[in-house]
Amino acid sequence: MHIPDGILPAAVCVAGYASTGAATWYSLRKIDQKENPQAGVPKASLLTAAFFVASWIHIPVPPSSVHLVLNGLLGAVLGYYAFPAILIGLFFQAVMFQHGGLTTLGVNATVMGIPALLAYAIFRLRNFLGRKYDHQGRPYRVLTGIFGFLAGASGIGLAALIAFTILVTTIPANIDVDAEQASITALTLAHVPLMFIEGVFTVLVVLFIQRVKPELLEEN
Amino acid sequence: MKRKLLVALFTLVMTLSITATAFAHGAKIEYTINVAVEIRAAYDTDKPMAGGQVIVYAPDDPSTPWLEGICDDKGRFTFTPDPAIPGTWDVQVRQAGHGDIIHIPIGEDIIMTGGTGYTPLQIGLMGASVVWGFVGTALFFSRRKS
Repeated sequence: MHIPDGILPAAVCVAGYASTGAATWYSLRKIDQKENPQAGVPKASLLTAAFFVASWIHIPVPPSSVHLVLNGLLGAVLGYYAFPAILIGLFFQAVMFQHGGLTTLGVNATVMGIPALLAYAIFRLRNFLGRKYDHQGRPYRVLTGIFGFLAGASGIGLAALIAFTILVTTIPANIDVDAEQASITALTLAHVPLMFIEGVFTVLVVLFIQRVKPELLEEN
Repeated sequence: MKRKLLVALFTLVMTLSITATAFAHGAKIEYTINVAVEIRAAYDTDKPMAGGQVIVYAPDDPSTPWLEGICDDKGRFTFTPDPAIPGTWDVQVRQAGHGDIIHIPIGEDIIMTGGTGYTPLQIGLMGASVVWGFVGTALFFSRRKS
């Protein structure tokens, strides 16, 4: 998922930076339109820390192993703050641990950040479906749970799909294309169980937030 | 007497030359030291990158692969760089879009072992500092307005 330096051709890296620039500009503009743009910074900062640490949590999926990404969770909880949060998290992962790379920062931010914005859109759909509050006036937990799962699972699923497309279409001719293709496919399929895990994790987090501090999810 | 000596000398020279001819059938060994480089590629989890594709670039042409190969089951690959091309050899290992490049100096400033990556303690310390940076940012922005 974190594509390192030296794997992708220069044109793809430049295109990645272009799309990341556009998405960052769009997100910051949306944040600036809020009544108090700074209000969301504390939760965005804490979830950036979670995103930064999550890539150390490896989950063995034979024959390989995958790590948590949490981009769907960031999308659902942070909304438009998610894209800058992911960009900053990726920057520190690349600079500190060479997890990802600086030339591929734009590509990686696009791969993980755009699905986060999509997860946000999915999570917001719950407001348009069915009743929002139960008969006691509390937020309706079932819808939050279902759409939390969809947001978490689709975030990582779409990210894996975009990464797969980018990697498979840019395999250099001087290596064994078939072997590389097979290992990329195997790694992408290993993300299917991860979709389930991240979906469940997102459900747990959003239901917890809804119980202890529901106003954090109100505007989302 | 003089004649006897001459005969003796002649015999000696003949014997020596015959021996010399016999030695011409011996073997001869020369040596030059070639340094073989063994790399070991693994993921962050220390799982070896078995079957990873290795590309070696020579210092004089860093854009054309000098050698290509495959890591064994333990993620190892061995090659012998050409001593006539001193400088920094670049070895790239990739698998499924993951991989790394290591720069190996060969020649006068040769370094016998090296690697990329950090020890767990370094990783823990760096990770903790970054996390503290994020927490600090959160605390700063959630301070009470005076």
